[in-house]
Amino acid sequence: MKSRDGLFDTLKVKVDESPQSFPQDLAEALRFGAISICVLLIAAFLFSGVIGPLFALGSVEETVTDVLTRLALLALPFVAYISGASVARRYTRSDIARALGLAFTSTALLFALISAGYFVLDYGVFAPRQSLQMTLSQTEAGIRVDAVVAGGAAETAGLQVGDVISAIRRDAVDLGAFNKRLSQSTEGDPLRLRFTRSDEELQETVRVVLVSDKQLGALLPGLALALVFTAIIVFLPGHWAPYIALVGLLSPLIVGYFWVIIATFSFRTEGLVPLDGNDNFGGFTLKNWESIFVGNIAGLEFNIVPIFMTSLAIAVVMTFVVLLVSSMAGYALSRMHFPGRRFFLSFTLILHGFPAITLLIPIFIVLLRLGNIPVIGELIGFNTVGGIALVMVAFQLPLGVWLMKGFFDNIPWDMERSALIDGASRWRTYWEILLPQIRPGLLALGIFAFIGGWNAYIIPATYSIGSGVSNLPVFLNELIDETAPVDWNQVAAVGLFQLIPIFIFFIFAQEYLLNIYAGGTKGSS
Amino acid sequence: MKVTIDNLSKKFGEVVGVENLTLHIEDGEFVAFLGPSGCGKTTTLLTLAGIYKPTDGVIRFGERVVNTVQPKDRNIGMVFQSYALYPHMTVFQNIAYPLKLKKVSKADQHDRVRQVANVMGIGELLDRRPGQLSGGQQQRVALGRALVKEPDVLLFDEPLSNLDARLRLTMRGEIKHLQKDLGITSIYVTHDQVEAMTMADRIAVMSGGHLQAFDSPDELYDRPKTQFVAGFVGNPPMNFVDVSVQASNGRFFAETESLRLEVQKERGAPPASHGGPVVMGIRPEDIQIASDPNNGTVSGEIFVVEPLGREDLIDVRIGRHSFLLLADTEDRHQAGERVSLAFDMEQAQFFDPETEKSLLWQ
Amino acid sequence: MSEQAKTGDTTVPRSRGGSNALKSYLGAYGFMAPAGILVIVFFLIPVAIVLYLSLTNLASSNFTSNLAIMEFIGLKNYQTLLNDQFARKIFFNTIFYVLVTLSIFNVSLALLVSLLTTHIDRSAGFVFRALWILPRITSPVVYILIWKRMIAEAPFGIINQFNEALGQPTYNYISTNPWVFVVVVNGFIGVSFGMIIFTSAIESIPRDLLNASLVDGSSKLQRIRYVIMPLIRWPLLFVVTYQTLSLLTSFVEIQLLTDGGPGLYRTEVWSLTAYHRALSNYFGNAQWGYGSAFAVLLVMIGVVLAVIYMRVFRFDELIAEPRVEAL
Repeated sequence: MKSRDGLFDTLKVKVDESPQSFPQDLAEALRFGAISICVLLIAAFLFSGVIGPLFALGSVEETVTDVLTRLALLALPFVAYISGASVARRYTRSDIARALGLAFTSTALLFALISAGYFVLDYGVFAPRQSLQMTLSQTEAGIRVDAVVAGGAAETAGLQVGDVISAIRRDAVDLGAFNKRLSQSTEGDPLRLRFTRSDEELQETVRVVLVSDKQLGALLPGLALALVFTAIIVFLPGHWAPYIALVGLLSPLIVGYFWVIIATFSFRTEGLVPLDGNDNFGGFTLKNWESIFVGNIAGLEFNIVPIFMTSLAIAVVMTFVVLLVSSMAGYALSRMHFPGRRFFLSFTLILHGFPAITLLIPIFIVLLRLGNIPVIGELIGFNTVGGIALVMVAFQLPLGVWLMKGFFDNIPWDMERSALIDGASRWRTYWEILLPQIRPGLLALGIFAFIGGWNAYIIPATYSIGSGVSNLPVFLNELIDETAPVDWNQVAAVGLFQLIPIFIFFIFAQEYLLNIYAGGTKGSS
Repeated sequence: MKVTIDNLSKKFGEVVGVENLTLHIEDGEFVAFLGPSGCGKTTTLLTLAGIYKPTDGVIRFGERVVNTVQPKDRNIGMVFQSYALYPHMTVFQNIAYPLKLKKVSKADQHDRVRQVANVMGIGELLDRRPGQLSGGQQQRVALGRALVKEPDVLLFDEPLSNLDARLRLTMRGEIKHLQKDLGITSIYVTHDQVEAMTMADRIAVMSGGHLQAFDSPDELYDRPKTQFVAGFVGNPPMNFVDVSVQASNGRFFAETESLRLEVQKERGAPPASHGGPVVMGIRPEDIQIASDPNNGTVSGEIFVVEPLGREDLIDVRIGRHSFLLLADTEDRHQAGERVSLAFDMEQAQFFDPETEKSLLWQ
Repeated sequence: MSEQAKTGDTTVPRSRGGSNALKSYLGAYGFMAPAGILVIVFFLIPVAIVLYLSLTNLASSNFTSNLAIMEFIGLKNYQTLLNDQFARKIFFNTIFYVLVTLSIFNVSLALLVSLLTTHIDRSAGFVFRALWILPRITSPVVYILIWKRMIAEAPFGIINQFNEALGQPTYNYISTNPWVFVVVVNGFIGVSFGMIIFTSAIESIPRDLLNASLVDGSSKLQRIRYVIMPLIRWPLLFVVTYQTLSLLTSFVEIQLLTDGGPGLYRTEVWSLTAYHRALSNYFGNAQWGYGSAFAVLLVMIGVVLAVIYMRVFRFDELIAEPRVEAL
């Protein structure tokens, strides 16, 4: 019953437990920590020792398993401290001193254990570092060599004490840049150093070696970090934990969307930092937005109005056709009796999981043929808005029909019977009585279809030539592909311009959208 | 309009909805279909309405065979349990909908809807939507919508079961009154035997897809032709006991190991001549608690007393038999009390245990 | 009709019934027709075409304005495919991509997010789930644009800016770790599906059951392990099968992010190959016939999976008979 308090637990019911002595608590904390360490070590081993090699057998050139291994090892100490501290958390309210004492002790012991492991395995702070085996200091003239290791890389290459290094190849460096460059190199990399020795300019190539210098002093910052982390864990209110985890998981998205917004309003960006022409913070401008409407981005001239209208046309046509066609078929499948009904229903379900996207090539041929039909070929053939919209309608149809059938299923049969007895035909029953009653369903499917149509990329890109019928996503991709260098901030403005209608829908129709994506059993991914 | 049903069967795959039903309903008659749920009464109604297609048999409205006539061409009105009002239309639009479909002119629509609404007492509500109405008001709108096109036949599918008890009582009277006034042939499906007894001219009792009896309420009550009818009609239900009826010296006795009751000749002779065990039925109101025991009474022990307000429903055990009966609350009977029961054997019914058919009435 | 109306005549007028029923069936087919035509034109005919094309050598090198010039070569394309070294690599790439993305993101992360969002304030949970939907409703082009900037080289890339701030080396992620980002980028889209399914499954667990387990003295973590997890097994299986299929067929994000590179087929997956072979081959020669062979295999896998999950999840049992009949 000791393991009753889990990590970050917020117990509503305190289980009756006899208080434990400090050594008992500590043993429990250490046990949790050790278990965490073992689990993560096993995970790391599985990633790099089993799963990675398996995929390598299939000649997959992946680094995912490496990254996962490194993540597991990186998280290892922190997870261990959390596990240990979770035992201490049960005293946070009653006895702060005891909680902190217990947490710090367990963290310190776990830290020692992990550090010992690092020491033995040459990992972490004890990992071998890239080195040129000389001691340097920054002086007015440049980087001065204060000492060289006898027989080391620098000495072998011919550097001597007193040399002043000014550049690596042609790049002038100071000590900071030099160390950074060194830390980014790998074993055996040649670094061609420019240096002066008694006013004579020389160049020598030094090869980077890995040196492990196991200085226990390097542990101190780590210990401090571990203790601060532990204190935070002990005092962190339990109900914050899910929020922290959620924000953490979402952070790449938050950062990414944040960038789009910043980028569209600034001259240029490095990472998340907006910069002006002189690389100083700032450079806020509306120029990017202006260029959309002026119609010139990085020399590529365009008119945004027809592109916007094409996007809108594809989305609107598609929405209406999807709603009409799916609701008609959904009505028949839900409400009417006819031979083959079961077959059509099963068929709809199979189409639902059908990889329609693989039919792009033959549909291309179909559209070419449709284009040859007089009159309607102009509307729905290859390279027309109608054709693109119809293909997208067809792809969304299995979902739409299934969804509409579900909504019709929920209307009481008496409603239908009543209308029929009142004298309505099936068509009028569908149009006048039932359709108005599945408004939420129509709205949900409509929004879904509109977003699909507005975002459409691969189908318009495949079935249109030239910008005559290209929509915003296709145009955006052309901007990225065809302008060099890409002006990312102007491109971002076009992207945000495309995203705004979606954002608006998103804000007003979240609930509907969640519903439809939760169509789950009914919905596509 | 006469409604004639001959040998009607309706099956859903293997499941029998109703089988071999023959029913002749007179013009202007109010007929109730009564039975427990799943007995086929609603199926029959929906088949009459043209919602279901008969598997076999013929349905005639008047002289016209309507088997394959679309519901809209049958000129019927129907009131549903759920009312089935169109939620997106106002009360006016709801009532006018059948007229609109008949392409009646706007002005006529207006007049006729007003007229019906006034009859139904919902003239003030025409601009409201169904969601804003009470259950009783919705019920009236549904009735109005069924009546507005002046149907030949009115169909009711448990229309009162969603109303509270008080309102049900009022509506019961109103529907019956209205039906008599308008003289429209009406078929009324219900599982509530009180509703059927009080409203209908004749009741078709159904069970398991079969017609059990088709008679006036009094007939059904006094002369039930099957044990099912006897048990279903009347509240609290009839008591049934397995007995054997013996004749001795021109007198007849219904006997069990703990009971011996004399039966009049006209009631006792048929079961006696049937031979072997029979089922005796006796209604709770035909058993009295006798104030003074005599040779006609039987002694028993009160097992449970359920107060019904005006009366107490009392379960009395005699040997291994249990009888429900009604007693005045004033008498304050208690469980465990020993009482003497007087049976009014002139009202006793006898049934064949095999066929469950009455031995008295054919 | 007057004849049938005679008393005693109990035969059902079948002939009229037949024609009437036919009329009402025609009505139903009328309702089905628009959908049916679209399905025929954009599913059935294309399937037939792709099957046929896969048996021909149609390619842009022998393409004229007349499609009839292609040659029927039987199963040769499939034979080529089986012996194609790159096809083998692409096959394993696809398995890798589906397995890793599915297990880390579409299932595990989705489950984690739905557990987290159901254990916090309701409206906050709703906001977090809504944010997770964002990648799915963002146009792939814009979404990939964002990620391209996330992983761009220093000094432009956002991740590399963090690396620099932490004193770490910077990377050209698209060439050093292409698979990591293919998986992450698709994974962030994939989370929402499972998240919604799991959330609705968790929220449909009766509150009494959840409260009872706490009163019984179990912790929230134990409740997740012993009460919630067993109850969402079925949705879990559903998400796994359904998302396997969508991952198998999704290629747009990969096409936009790496286009199967860098190098030769490093992040190429099966569906992307079908697209590449047919529409934009590396060597400028679109091989429609050969590309169709790739598509056909994927179509077959898709149909088999679709049939399986229809059976497993008993979708056909959802099909109730309509309760209004044709007369």
